[in-house]
Amino acid sequence: MTVHELLQLPDLTALCLEDGEREIDGVYIGDLLSWVMGRAQSGNAWITIMSNINVLAVASLADVSCVILAEGVTLSEELLTAAKEKGINVLSSSKPAYETARLLFGSLS
Amino acid sequence: MKELSLNVLDVAENSYKAGAKQVCVSLQETGNRLTLTIQDDGCGMTPDILKVVTDPFYTTRTTRKVGLGLPLLRMAAEQTGGGMTVKSVSEKENPASHGTTVTAVFYTDHLDFTPLGDIVSTVTTLIQGHPTVDLLFTHETETQSVRLDTAELREVLGDVSLAEYEVIHWIEDCLKEQYEAINK
Repeated sequence: MTVHELLQLPDLTALCLEDGEREIDGVYIGDLLSWVMGRAQSGNAWITIMSNINVLAVASLADVSCVILAEGVTLSEELLTAAKEKGINVLSSSKPAYETARLLFGSLS
Repeated sequence: MKELSLNVLDVAENSYKAGAKQVCVSLQETGNRLTLTIQDDGCGMTPDILKVVTDPFYTTRTTRKVGLGLPLLRMAAEQTGGGMTVKSVSEKENPASHGTTVTAVFYTDHLDFTPLGDIVSTVTTLIQGHPTVDLLFTHETETQSVRLDTAELREVLGDVSLAEYEVIHWIEDCLKEQYEAINK
């Protein structure tokens, strides 16, 4: 499933969709950035409630397919610009991390 | 990072990379305020670099495009209501006196304060990894303090490397004993 296809799910909206055709391969959930950095796999959709420039750096480093900001968290204008510049897909989910993961589970498997 | 001491390890490595002869790591506790200072006499940074140093997409590494040492330390400090400042004088600006000072302030009663963790391991790891560079470590509370200065050790040790197992082991015990004494 691609990031673009994932957006068909209810409760998900695109904040920055730079590479909609990127294939999603698994899911990782975590907010401690240094932890995520070493554990998220390339291609994962990464669910977090953190929203700062370091999130974009970790997303880039871990090469995740997209960041999904749970609980309706969004990006500031400044971060949106940075996400576009770095080509990072960022979505927002109105649901908490667990509910968001459940949504993804249904679609990815 | 799950422990602040890991941030210290990460950021102090920058000092060694900058060619420092002496690195000072200090922790100062005053009430609910913890101030971490990492100071070195390395090559320093020019104002241009200093401006972007907490941008994670800036790094001196060539193997990857992001550097998260200072950005993560800043985040750890800010999420407790504190903050981080970096002051630096480059070798170009002042060949006689240069280096970098990173100061981070944490409020330890904030829920998002990351515990200090195993600072003794951080200190011994730094010394073992860089035995030719001097490290001054101090941890002061309002009434007590822990201190280790490898320059003083070096005078006693002569030609024996600080990285020798017996020396590192002694340093570890020395720090642990001091911490046990202040935690009583």
